[in-house]
Amino acid sequence: MLKDENGTVADSAESSVRERIAALEQLLGDPHDPGNPFGHAALLAADERGELIPEAERALDGFGLNAEFVPRELGGRLDRVDNLARVLRPVFRRDPALGLGYGVTSFLAAIAVWASGSEAQRRWTADLLLRGGRLAIAYHELAHGNDFVRNEFAALPDGADFLLDGRKEVINNAERAEALVLFSRTTAEPGPRSHSVLLVDKASLPVDRFDHLPRYRTVGVRGCEIGGFEFRRCPLPGDALVGTPGEGVEIALRSFQITRSVVPGMVLGGADTALRTVVGFAVQRELYGRSLLGIPHVRAAIAGSFADLLVSDCLCLVATRAVHLLPEQTSVYAAVVKYLVPKVLQETTYDLSIVLGANFYVRNGDYGVFQKHVRDLPMTSLGHAGTAACQATIIPQLPRLARRAWTLGEEAPQALFRPHEDLPPLDTDRLTLAADQDALVASLLSGADRLEGPEGRGRELAGVRAMVRCLVDELHRCREEGLALSPQDRTALASPHAYAVADRYALVLAGSACLNVWLDRQPDGSAFLDDPRWLTAALTRVVRRLGRSLPEGAELDVDWMLREVLERHRSARSYDLYDTPLAG
Amino acid sequence: MTERRAAGLRHGSWELAARFDRELGDPCDPATVFSYEESMRLDTAEAFPSAVCAALNAWGLPRYYVPADYGGGLTSLEDLQQLIRMLARRDLTVAIAHAKTFLGAVPVWASGNHGAALRLASLVRDGAQVALGLTERTHGSDIMAGDLTADETGGGYRVNGEKWLINNASRGRLLSLLTRTSPTGGPRGFTLFLVDKAELPQDTYRCLPKVPTLGIRGADISGVVLQDAPVGRDAVIGDVGGGAELLLKSLQLTRTLCPSLSLGAADHALRLALGFAEGRELYGRRLSDLPLTRRTLADAYADLLLCEALSTVATRSIHALPSELSVTSAVAKYLVPSLVDGTVAALGSLLGARSFLADHYAHGRFQKLARDHRIVGVFDGNTMVNLYSLVAQFRSLARNYLAPDDHRPHLAGIFDLERTLPDFVPDRLTLLSRYGSSILGTLPAAVERLDTASLHRPALAGAAARAVELLAEADALHRRIATRMETVGDAAPESFEDARRYCLCFAGAAALGLWEHSHGSAGAGPTGALWQDGLWLEGVLARVLHHLGSAPGRPDRDDALVARLYEQCTTQYGEGALFSLLPCPIAEGHPTC
Repeated sequence: MLKDENGTVADSAESSVRERIAALEQLLGDPHDPGNPFGHAALLAADERGELIPEAERALDGFGLNAEFVPRELGGRLDRVDNLARVLRPVFRRDPALGLGYGVTSFLAAIAVWASGSEAQRRWTADLLLRGGRLAIAYHELAHGNDFVRNEFAALPDGADFLLDGRKEVINNAERAEALVLFSRTTAEPGPRSHSVLLVDKASLPVDRFDHLPRYRTVGVRGCEIGGFEFRRCPLPGDALVGTPGEGVEIALRSFQITRSVVPGMVLGGADTALRTVVGFAVQRELYGRSLLGIPHVRAAIAGSFADLLVSDCLCLVATRAVHLLPEQTSVYAAVVKYLVPKVLQETTYDLSIVLGANFYVRNGDYGVFQKHVRDLPMTSLGHAGTAACQATIIPQLPRLARRAWTLGEEAPQALFRPHEDLPPLDTDRLTLAADQDALVASLLSGADRLEGPEGRGRELAGVRAMVRCLVDELHRCREEGLALSPQDRTALASPHAYAVADRYALVLAGSACLNVWLDRQPDGSAFLDDPRWLTAALTRVVRRLGRSLPEGAELDVDWMLREVLERHRSARSYDLYDTPLAG
Repeated sequence: MTERRAAGLRHGSWELAARFDRELGDPCDPATVFSYEESMRLDTAEAFPSAVCAALNAWGLPRYYVPADYGGGLTSLEDLQQLIRMLARRDLTVAIAHAKTFLGAVPVWASGNHGAALRLASLVRDGAQVALGLTERTHGSDIMAGDLTADETGGGYRVNGEKWLINNASRGRLLSLLTRTSPTGGPRGFTLFLVDKAELPQDTYRCLPKVPTLGIRGADISGVVLQDAPVGRDAVIGDVGGGAELLLKSLQLTRTLCPSLSLGAADHALRLALGFAEGRELYGRRLSDLPLTRRTLADAYADLLLCEALSTVATRSIHALPSELSVTSAVAKYLVPSLVDGTVAALGSLLGARSFLADHYAHGRFQKLARDHRIVGVFDGNTMVNLYSLVAQFRSLARNYLAPDDHRPHLAGIFDLERTLPDFVPDRLTLLSRYGSSILGTLPAAVERLDTASLHRPALAGAAARAVELLAEADALHRRIATRMETVGDAAPESFEDARRYCLCFAGAAALGLWEHSHGSAGAGPTGALWQDGLWLEGVLARVLHHLGSAPGRPDRDDALVARLYEQCTTQYGEGALFSLLPCPIAEGHPTC
């Protein structure tokens, strides 16, 4: 066991994660160093060209980044989903395109194989990734977008084999990938058992029966090679089937529970850079004869953004750990985090852009990396997880949760909220498509109770107690409205009102995550996380987004939060729950 | 068959805009010089739209940048507002690149220096471009921190320094340049010069490289460096030391007109989104059949109409209420681009993948306009500058609202679109509004009248109820800000939030005034369905309350309103009309691209 600089005892899994993060930070170097071949200047230039930096991908080869996507038992380093997000943050901090383009979409594809593939398929996929290969994930069809069950692409049965026919569009790494995970119709009859998942070895396909589509130019992650396929009755061996015939929708939805949980946690790296860039600007600039940092509105915007990143990280932490601890409930939590985190980050980067002023609009120079992240961030919903789709996953579950889970539920285990505690192995078989319990809500209620006791004593917690009461009140409203949703609301014809309930429920969960991360914090953890002022700040962001005014005594302590922001800027440490040392 | 459509309000500026758009040709036709396809090609290549600008010059657009007093065609700022909107609808890059000349020339028009104005008028009518040289690399929006200096010499001045991130700095022959003429700066320490590059010795100036920007990629955003550049005394705009004041007054005009850019962008975005929603099948239905989709589109439409109502009232007030333009311009310049940024984001969500593909749907037009539009809230006075302008006048605004002066002007001339506006008189511009905002001041009485009217016209009950709620917000707001007195560097975040709320209340008042005084005539015209029974007013007030964070009302009442608004939106779309309170056919008609 190792002790880190805080004197905290870290277990070997934690120290291994920290080592890998540190190694990646060192490998990718100080982004502000103009001489760094992987620094902001180089990344912006590559973005202009619509390319990834080849040397950066080779460096990641050397690091063996793909091993992070392969389960331990198959020779990789993947065991915990929360740690996967953490390890990818250094990459996304520099360049989300590099993260997605190098390998994250490979992970999104491979998860279906890890969960439902045969031993041979798992072995084959692991070997491909471990030697630096790529998989493309093809759920998306441009005509159908998020309604992927209606996809027209088909893998028509041909004896024991298949004939692939149709187009798959807007697929990352379509051309580069050696293998594809295809979601495909496999019978002519309609219904939920009409689709299957296929693992395709491109090299096994006859070249005259398929084409790569021309590359799509995109506004963001311009270095990613986003293409597609056109298949014309292309033969595919029957052993390409992953899982059982007709199991496609289930495999897809279960995969989403993992991918939707983990990607936002990676994307937080990019948001860190956005905030860090604006802090760097504010530190240097003067306005109206004083430092920008002396202007209250600027201070509030920066402190507020930091609070937003902490809210997002709490939600990502809980969602990724829930995949291990509460797999029956993650159909909801994954959708919530995939819905809410990009939204919060988009809003916070808009607020930060106001601080940057005209410099926000310049594509190069000291602050040019900011607009790159503004363009890159929305792209991480690429494919099958747009905001409406996530809400559409949540809404139909609200009546059941409201009826059964929100008043008499079992609260979450403490481990859900503790970043450094061990997790049981991921058991994808336990992922279910609909949740029956809602531990995060139960933990909100139990957390509220705890605050009424000794844990909640102290004037500095008055604001927290008041805001948690708001959240509980909001939960009760959601419950009433959830119970009142019509059958139509559980379909695509759901009213805007139903979407609004889902939005507020998501915020209530975010509040619960923040509260319980604080309540269950390790006693020998960081001084910052121990102080309830970060929680107060985080909760103000949640309460305001719920459209409520802040209760008496609830205030974001701008000075205190800003001190931390500036300290982490000065000493190059991450703007998240982990306070990770950075290369720059 | 009787032609019922001949009745109703006819507004010359909307008709001018329709003619302008028609004469520019169908933008969906790739053969048109000013086509969508060409705009996309230029954006991809980051190339300046020279041919399009030449076509605009040939049409005679520069005439509208020159006041009639100086031989130009500009008599009404409403004309310019609508023309810029039609430009922006097609391509924000072109709108910003071409109309910049007006923004650069305004200080001269406002200066009262007739000799200089006549000379400039002749150049502008012939197609010369003017840039506005205000910002510097390290000083951004703090114009009075500028370092570029003009030192007096024997015959004139010598100018030294750099201006950066300036639109048209390289292509513009003329530059309205803000210089420091007193080393200690301050309110009398700056002077505006109209610099003609054609008259500068070549070795005394150079243009800076084009700055690659997030949007308006083809525009000339660059800069200029001046080294001992000789400039004559006759180049002074206004008086020596009067630069800051003249500039601030000029910015009142330009900030009031900038919202036209946003209106154009919003129209384009909504048209793309509606076309997409109607054409797309999802979950076995058209996307436009889904209630959430209709809500998103109807909300965007209502926000657009809110912005139009505010912009229309604001522009008319340049003529009829110039003494309050310091308030009105700040409200318009903050609120409209901010709301439209939100609208564009919401519609982008609806479009999904198509919002970020550069080539695919509609040639990637959405992502271009989204990137282009982000500059509108930034330039010519960004969010913070405009909100701060209001914060600085809080006490006066509160006093004048809570205890209004008897000598307040009547505003029927502004709100009644059939009334002719008086000539714009630049001398009547002031740095601070003496009587706060008369426009917002109309709110209490107007709400009372609407409330009363709804007693015998139940169809107005929805609008009346929302108006009453808005009034309560406005009253509470003014009581809150009555005691605030903050300097720009100290203003608390809460003050900026109150300034934002102020803008929303103002917009609500503008909408109410506009509806009350114009619905009689407009209600009989082709867009009458929007005006009758206060439909657009109710929709717009609902959005104001939403943006104020008011708790959502009864879902059933909202649903009915949304349905009616959505119907109007699709009607205008189907008719090939501008999304607008007044009729205005667009050249592409019902879009084919």
